[in-house]
Amino acid sequence: MTDPISILDLIKGASPLVQAVMLLLAVASVVSWVLIFQRWFALNRVQREIDDFEDEFWSGIDLNELKAELDGQEDNLTGIESVFVAGFGEYGRLSGQADTDPDAVMQNVQRAMRVALTREEERLGRHLPFLATVGSTSPYVGLFGTVWGIMNSFRSLANMTQATLAAVAPGISEALIATAMGLFAAIPAVIGYNRFASRVEGMMKRYEAFADELASILHRVAHANAPLPHANAPSPL
Amino acid sequence: MSALREYAGPVLLALLLHAAIAAALVRGWQPDTDDMPRLVQPRIIEASILVMDKPAPRPPLPSARPDPVPPPVEREPEPVKPEPKPEPPPRPDPEIERRAQEEAARQKRLRELAEQSTVQAFESEAADLAEATADAQTMTYMDAINRAIRAQWSRPPSARNDMKARFQVDLVPSGELLGVMLLDTSGNPAFDRSAEIAIRKASPFEVPPDHDVFEANFRRFTLLFSPQDLLR
Repeated sequence: MTDPISILDLIKGASPLVQAVMLLLAVASVVSWVLIFQRWFALNRVQREIDDFEDEFWSGIDLNELKAELDGQEDNLTGIESVFVAGFGEYGRLSGQADTDPDAVMQNVQRAMRVALTREEERLGRHLPFLATVGSTSPYVGLFGTVWGIMNSFRSLANMTQATLAAVAPGISEALIATAMGLFAAIPAVIGYNRFASRVEGMMKRYEAFADELASILHRVAHANAPLPHANAPSPL
Repeated sequence: MSALREYAGPVLLALLLHAAIAAALVRGWQPDTDDMPRLVQPRIIEASILVMDKPAPRPPLPSARPDPVPPPVEREPEPVKPEPKPEPPPRPDPEIERRAQEEAARQKRLRELAEQSTVQAFESEAADLAEATADAQTMTYMDAINRAIRAQWSRPPSARNDMKARFQVDLVPSGELLGVMLLDTSGNPAFDRSAEIAIRKASPFEVPPDHDVFEANFRRFTLLFSPQDLLR
């Protein structure tokens, strides 16, 4: 009995097309893991930022102060901060003008925040489509490599007078590596995609809730025509 | 560049992960061959060396305490004592001294018993091992001989399931066939002849190099031929 075939020999012995498929799948796997790690870190960071900002927002800080503080660091606003800056900045600009209709002001504020929310959603969900693509297509790509390899190995069997298992087994084993790699690339990608998609959704909910709360505060102020309150001050009415 | 910083960690982690998996695959890629039936030539390489160290680690004292035999006092004055024994106190009391002596004798006896049983255990274990090795050798070689004969045997068309022919086979230590003798005929001359031809064609056989094993099982042995199988 000969030595067991090593996996490297199997890969080296594969036909060029199967090798190309394997290479493609290996690259897809590496890239999807890069993105999984990147999203993982990024979403953890965003989560922390949301918590910090909400703590600060509801701590009773003067909203004007908060805005002034954030204006200083225009370049690296975190997600929820930029929603706040968009909404509050719009309110500040409009309510400064004389005899503006409070309803019109609020409409604009909400529009500005909606724009900011859309932008944030795009930022949070970055790379997720790639993970989804890898997750859904790489099993098929791997299967393609396998089918091709098995086709070849059976075709070479046709030339033999005596069909033995030993003649086809290495070819099939080598072809199956492609399927294994496809699954190997796909499974983490699918898991990552689902996990991150649900996390992004949860964060967007928090953004929207925050935007609504900010809108209701500004609405109250706009209609009462009172000076800007603290976030948790009793209603001026 | 912040993008570089943002992706450097993940890229590194992903590459490490894949390198680890690739290494594990390449190194650990060994299909389990242990429980596959193998067709190999008999090759017995079972070495066992038993070094008998005199001060063998004593097993826990045998539970069977020595029967209430009177302590052998004649061994008492032996000066060689492997372990410091609780020496009797200088001279306190004849009664205590006597008891201490008795105790010492008992201990000594126990120790001797334990040592003896260890030696016995080692010896019997060695014997068991040798026997097992010989058995394994016999079985392996006998199997190979059966297989060789079966490969040469073409059963005649007149063979029936219930036919049995017993042959006595004599070999020389090199494995050459010395003689074949029909002990029990199957009643069908063609069947008997085919079996004998198979034995002659299959020789010379591979026999164990161990002289004792050869003498015990291969110098002369019987083979039972029946159409389903070839049995010893």
